[in-house]
Amino acid sequence: MSGFSNSAAIVGIGATEFSKESGRSELQLSCEATLAALADAGLTPKDVDGLVTFKMDNSSEIALARELGMGDLRFFSRVDYGGGAACGTVQQAAMAVATGVADVVVCYRGFNERSGQRYGQVQSWAATQINSNGLDNAWSYPYGLSTPAATVAMQARRYMHEYGATSRDFGVVAVADRKHAATNPNAFFYGKPITIEDHQSSRLIADPLRLLDCCQESDGAVALVVVSAERAKDLPQTPAYIAAAAQGSAADQFVMTSYYRDDIGVPEMGVVGRELWRQSGLKPDDMAMAVLYDHFTPYVLMQLEELGFCGRGEAPGFIADGAIEIGGKLPINTHGGQLGEAYIHGMNGIAEGVRQVRGASINQVINADHVLVTAGTGVPTSGLVLSREVG
Amino acid sequence: MSDPITEQVKDHDWIMARAEEFKAMGETEPRLARDPVNQPMINNWVEAIGHQDPRFADGMAPPAMAQVWTMYGLDPTRPAKDPLHGTMQMLDSAGFTSVLGTNCDQVYKRALKVGEQVTITSKLDSVVGPKKTGVGEGYFVTTVNTWRVGDEEVATMLFRVLKFKPAARAPKVDKSKTIRPMRNRDTEFFWEGTKQGEIRISKCNACGELRHPPGPMCPVCHAADRGYVVASGKGTIYSFLTHHAPQLPGKELPLQLGLIELPEGIRMVGELIGEDPAIGDEVDATYEKIDDDTTLVYWRKS
Amino acid sequence: MNPGDQIPEWKLPITPTLVVSTALATRDFQDVHHDRDLAVKRGSKDIFLNILTTTGLVQRYVGEWASKQVGERYQVLECALRLGAPAYPYDELSFTGTVKEIEGDALTIDVVGAVSLGNHVNATVKIARNA
Repeated sequence: MSGFSNSAAIVGIGATEFSKESGRSELQLSCEATLAALADAGLTPKDVDGLVTFKMDNSSEIALARELGMGDLRFFSRVDYGGGAACGTVQQAAMAVATGVADVVVCYRGFNERSGQRYGQVQSWAATQINSNGLDNAWSYPYGLSTPAATVAMQARRYMHEYGATSRDFGVVAVADRKHAATNPNAFFYGKPITIEDHQSSRLIADPLRLLDCCQESDGAVALVVVSAERAKDLPQTPAYIAAAAQGSAADQFVMTSYYRDDIGVPEMGVVGRELWRQSGLKPDDMAMAVLYDHFTPYVLMQLEELGFCGRGEAPGFIADGAIEIGGKLPINTHGGQLGEAYIHGMNGIAEGVRQVRGASINQVINADHVLVTAGTGVPTSGLVLSREVG
Repeated sequence: MSDPITEQVKDHDWIMARAEEFKAMGETEPRLARDPVNQPMINNWVEAIGHQDPRFADGMAPPAMAQVWTMYGLDPTRPAKDPLHGTMQMLDSAGFTSVLGTNCDQVYKRALKVGEQVTITSKLDSVVGPKKTGVGEGYFVTTVNTWRVGDEEVATMLFRVLKFKPAARAPKVDKSKTIRPMRNRDTEFFWEGTKQGEIRISKCNACGELRHPPGPMCPVCHAADRGYVVASGKGTIYSFLTHHAPQLPGKELPLQLGLIELPEGIRMVGELIGEDPAIGDEVDATYEKIDDDTTLVYWRKS
Repeated sequence: MNPGDQIPEWKLPITPTLVVSTALATRDFQDVHHDRDLAVKRGSKDIFLNILTTTGLVQRYVGEWASKQVGERYQVLECALRLGAPAYPYDELSFTGTVKEIEGDALTIDVVGAVSLGNHVNATVKIARNA
């Protein structure tokens, strides 16, 4: 176990409602979520001295601080690579509070990703930005490979070819997510479970991916409050200790198009996994549940393999027979995931990990002493292990 | 259908040679109409076409019915040496699969009367082509049919069809909306290459390492001295997908995209042309100019 | 009667019934004249009129005029069709005609049959005054 492990904790979570049209500005959404998270933690904006968000977020730290009447900020940071940033924001915050650089850090993410700029559409700007990312995209966008679903489909087809996985295997993830969302009143798809047949009959988006392999597009915001483990003891909520927080990028890494290395899967998640187990001294078997980033179902299978829950190519067998549903050997995405609850770039998944550790999830897993949360896949990414008790 | 000549190259010369054979066969044997000219069939025709003429109720057949008497109907069999049928099959096998009637010229020597039973003979008159037409490139096939009662010629028909390869559908998309590749001094050589119809693979002049996508520095030996080699233009499909939604600027959907593995040891993304692609299929590079600055590489199944 | 004389226009609504009944009455059982699904599969918008019917309709148009203007005993000598746009159901086929040439007892008449997509047929019909 590393010295960093369990030196910080998430002590507050907050969110707006999740919708297809918030009717408010993105900055307002993030302010509302931050206030909710601070109230949950028993703190006020005046207590905050650090802010972290995604590089992609449209609301700057100083804008948020102004709106909420915060005072001096001693620490502010942004994490890159789309949804891969989610757990990385918590890592930044945890390192800041563990080292004493800051005392109370809020991680936030808010967007109108359905009513405003939809990530599922072609983002032409991504191919015209004058930087190395724009140059990288020159090898895919001009040909028409320019949506997240299509970039994942390329990997999914290869995965099917190499390991015999099928579209139905991908559908198992969607069915599990929607089953969990069906009992979560905050989920967009509350009360709307699906069957594997629903999945199989949903239209093709980027063959082999179907509509129900793809996450939602959502409006909303989530905020998380991170303090040191010591400070956490004085606050009202059961702390979710950060047993490990890791980022990962692998050799020859690209954003969504890491197609030029031997393995076109998600080895960056292997980097994250190895670091999580090293920092925490825990192993996959110790995880009571997992929140696996699920913007596209095939990535959930690949993540299970990279994180060590099963061997390469074994995920279709691992997830069969209800294994990833509540009551199974590794329930995942008990809030409904981004397919079922909302797509808040992985931040709502971290909030669910915290609820599980607190024992407060709508789909509570028994003995959730340690849970795993991952961030966006296909990009440089990140992950967390959250624990109920220190040590 | 087994055709002993399917292995042959079915080019223009082959088509014309076969056409000459069909022409040389001359007229077919007379084939007798299924029924004699009869009032019930005339009545059906009058009812459907709506052409009332007292003579059609009084033993005279409408002249326009000349061909009706010898139609094959639902009988799928054709005489072995039917020149029209044979020519159609021959052109089908050469890829000219679609057909369009263009001319039908009938000459009536006299009206047919109820009770007469006609025969038909036909011959191939000409095969002319290839001609570029609005629907696609093809051959005009002209046959001449002759109807007789006994030895008396009663009507003839010159019938011409265009047997064609359907032209590619007109693009419904504005290719000028295609997203252009960002480029800089590290990548310009690649796009200069596609303009000249070649794939340039970055090569380290110090250690010889090939790489794609290219960059300023060799990841192996860190030399910044770089050149390129020209790829063979061959590849195999490493993976692929078919994009159905959402719409893409400058692209017609569905769009097949492939990750192509080149024998030079690199991979490239590109549009994939050809039906039913599969991993491992061999493909060849082809090029499409988008504008003066940008030419994209496509991959066509070999 | 002089060259240049016009034959009154005739408009015929094309219905699926017309297409199918005429195809059957002319013993033409090609699927594109009666099976919409297969016609569409073969790249057509719908079923469409067969050539034998076009021949019959051209001769009906000329014949109904000729029986009044030329005499009930008129005879059709030749009918040459140049085919164009398909005639689909729910379109309208409108015929116009002009007397082109009069030579003794023989008249040559130019006929155009137009649909919304353009000319369905350009025909030249030669008839004789009597038999």
